Amino acid sequence: MKPKLIIGIVSIIVFTSLLMYNFGNSISTYVNFEEAEARTSSHVVGTWDSTGEYGFSRDTMQFSFHMKDRAGNVRKVIYPRPKPNNFEQATQLVVIGEMRNNVFYANEMLMKCPSKYNDSPDFEKASTIES
Amino acid sequence: MIAEAGRWFLNFAFLFSVCSMGLYAFASVRNNKKVERISNWFWGFKGVFVLGASIALIYLIMTHQFQYYYVWNYTSLDLETKYLFSAFYGGQEGSFMLWIFFAFFVGLGLIVWTRKPYRAPVMFVMAMTQFFLLSMIIGWDFGFTKIGASPFRTIAQEMPNAPFLQANPDFVPQDGTGLNDLLKSPWMMIHPPIIFVGFSMMTVPFAFAIASLWTKTYHEWIRPALPWTLAANLSLLTAIFLGGYWAYETLSFGGYWAWDPVENASLVPWLIGTAGIHAMIIQRKSRRAHKASLFFAILAYVSIIYQTFLTRSGVLADQSVHSFVDLGLYNQLLAFILAVTIMGIGFYLYRYKELPTPDKESKFLSREFMTFTGAMLLFILGLVIILGTSSPILGKLFVDNPTPPEIQFYNNWSMPIAIIMALATVVGQYLFWERHSWESLAGELITPLLITSTVSVVSIVLGNVTSIYYMIYIFAGWFTVIGNGTVLVRLLRKNPKLVGGTITHIGFGLLLLGIIASSVYTVPMLDPQTTNYNTRIEQGEVFDDEGFPITQKVEMFELKVNQPKLVNEKYMVTYEGYELTNSPRPGQQNYRLRFEPIDGGEVFYMSPEVYPMLTSSGPNGVDWSVDPHVRTGMVKDIYLYVAGSKYVEQRNEEFERNAQNESMMPVGNQDEEQTEEQEDSQIIELSRGETKSVGPFAFTFRNFVPASEEALPENTQIGIRSLIHIEHESSGRAFEAEPLFAVYTEDDRSYTYSPPIEIKEWDMNVLFSKVRPESDSIELTVYGLDENFEEDWVLVVAEQKPFVSVVWLGTFMLMAGFSISIFRHWAREKNTAEKN
Repeated sequence: MKPKLIIGIVSIIVFTSLLMYNFGNSISTYVNFEEAEARTSSHVVGTWDSTGEYGFSRDTMQFSFHMKDRAGNVRKVIYPRPKPNNFEQATQLVVIGEMRNNVFYANEMLMKCPSKYNDSPDFEKASTIES
Repeated sequence: MIAEAGRWFLNFAFLFSVCSMGLYAFASVRNNKKVERISNWFWGFKGVFVLGASIALIYLIMTHQFQYYYVWNYTSLDLETKYLFSAFYGGQEGSFMLWIFFAFFVGLGLIVWTRKPYRAPVMFVMAMTQFFLLSMIIGWDFGFTKIGASPFRTIAQEMPNAPFLQANPDFVPQDGTGLNDLLKSPWMMIHPPIIFVGFSMMTVPFAFAIASLWTKTYHEWIRPALPWTLAANLSLLTAIFLGGYWAYETLSFGGYWAWDPVENASLVPWLIGTAGIHAMIIQRKSRRAHKASLFFAILAYVSIIYQTFLTRSGVLADQSVHSFVDLGLYNQLLAFILAVTIMGIGFYLYRYKELPTPDKESKFLSREFMTFTGAMLLFILGLVIILGTSSPILGKLFVDNPTPPEIQFYNNWSMPIAIIMALATVVGQYLFWERHSWESLAGELITPLLITSTVSVVSIVLGNVTSIYYMIYIFAGWFTVIGNGTVLVRLLRKNPKLVGGTITHIGFGLLLLGIIASSVYTVPMLDPQTTNYNTRIEQGEVFDDEGFPITQKVEMFELKVNQPKLVNEKYMVTYEGYELTNSPRPGQQNYRLRFEPIDGGEVFYMSPEVYPMLTSSGPNGVDWSVDPHVRTGMVKDIYLYVAGSKYVEQRNEEFERNAQNESMMPVGNQDEEQTEEQEDSQIIELSRGETKSVGPFAFTFRNFVPASEEALPENTQIGIRSLIHIEHESSGRAFEAEPLFAVYTEDDRSYTYSPPIEIKEWDMNVLFSKVRPESDSIELTVYGLDENFEEDWVLVVAEQKPFVSVVWLGTFMLMAGFSISIFRHWAREKNTAEKN
């Protein structure tokens, strides 16, 4: 074999394994609130629990709400930014952050919103009109 | 009726695409001109049918026929005409139609301009992609399986189990759900068409690559394919730019790029297409790299279909803020990507042995080697991004239920690749126009290197850059700009037609510089109090109620009306109030913030907006959306939005109260409200010149003022006004009012007349209810005087982003460079075509 080919193959292998190693480290898995207690940084998927108190506090400059994860655990979530647009309409929330003392401190929050990409119809508003 | 026609148009279009695909295949195999001509007719008719179907859909949208799911889901009665039109491609089905439509035109162009022997096989590939795309929207239901989702399906077909439809199958909703407010932007109107123009044109290099493998003519295909690829890349770049600009201007995440899967999905085809352009240029110039240009041409289209698969199949649903609805097209999309991949890569491997190989390896210091390195680096960057974006699939190798990679993953890989690319562009450009040995190249590069070093040091010092890594990156960026700039100056003297590539590379260098400045050196704009608080958080001195240290910094501040705050030790910022404009969106508030540079610069105003999202607000609550204001500057942008305000809070409280009242269903509700209003009034007695404080306000009775006759009722006996000064004590805001008091007679009885004067800002009504001439005093009745009254306030999130302008400038230079190259290669291709 030509030395150039060997160098090429070796560098491809090195590059790929480095890339995959790094990729594997930079992704993590979605967990629920209970599992998040044992971790330093977690992604939790869930929905907003509208029965609990929620809102932005101008004293602490934080937005807090209660979220129910997929396993049904409800925890308070604190988000250090204003309430995001469409918060109430989000069909799903992903919070990224840390669990401390039963409170989840989110550094980031993603919302899956209906709207344009919506396929969950809600016909309540126009109910009895016939044509 | 119209919808029925539309459905038939689509069916016919689909059948014709099948026919033309078969006929083109036949024409290619048998090399039959006559069949080819017939298939061209089929292609044309298919276009007419697609046009017919599009007109039908637009007609349904324009006439508000909400019994059709697509019309109901994406439009509403109040939508402006231009947005009604753009709703045509607002959803998945319509956007497929638009794509098909543009690809049809590209096909027409190919029929007219393509030379033998490529025409028939190229058109076969075009017809095949049309076949797959059309299959996504024909909506054939065989009972056991469905093919495609028709834009003409009714809501009854969409939701057969909805109770109101079972009760009344002919139900037609009165209004549609409307278009998302965020998308009501001119940028978003033109963004999708440009993307699909790009997608359609990127089919061309793929088609030519297949045709070249088919006809075993491996060299000539790039001449016609190169201008198409350049044009496709220009479209994709423009679309990416529009998307980024829209995100920056309208969304509150505060940037033009977030490594969101959907954004990545548009970037990867561009990167691979650009890699392909590099390979094609080597092939055209030096008759080598045939393998690479075929490979990249195939891969660019595969990556487009792959990104379509990722964004439209529902795979990314959890990860992206804006992936499309899952229409159940997963299997069809999978079939499409497999067909394209197997056809492209399979055919490529099948012919691999026959592909021309260069006689000898190219030297390290040659334009071939450098250009090829550029292509490879672009390809590798594309691969890294594909890997990250595919995390829902590939991440399963590592964990169950994988999350997207951290942003750091993308940054860590793209930065070193970009640095090497940057250096390669300069060396590559020098070698592209002249042969060089190490010595001569070093000699040429001395001056640019010296200038680069000086400029880099200056920017590092001015920008206060501390990281060595960033220093290298900045150096690489400047080197690209200055090195390529030197080449540009020489080319301009010799032959200005050739500058396309050089301009693109300068644009790339500017982009690198702009990206680092605007992302790493963005600083939040805060008042001194918040800054102090953040310093304390940094030092771990702030604790929450449970005794845990708070680690999250506060990146916003509050402003009370007319009470300026010093921000970033640079601007006195004053909130001057808001205006309910109701325009262009109902319920919109325009906030006014005055920025006065303390070093005596020019005063300017920022006017962010807040508005209720109509599509998602209901009777029980408003869903507020913000529209940031970006003040664009050469050196820095100021990005600002209102994250909360007194008005918004009050409206929310109102809605909450209403919701509670409704749920309690009170019998005597109205009386209650009336009594409440009466309780609200306060009586204030003032003698002339006296000031009295009530709650947070101070009332002063200055003097009596004569009342003019027009304002008085008939038969007035006494008519007098009082000059009142009302001040909100903590803010110093004050109003003067002249309420009227009159006594008139009607039917021999005396009545008093004291019309209220409204002070809108405080929601207050002042009445001059009595006059006591004997004590020279008056009595005022004040409604709506709130003991807990608080001045108007806003919460502001503001950022200072240096050199975003350079990002745009770099992008524009890339676009300009591509455009110049398109013209050059197109003209050359036409010349050869005419000679033949």
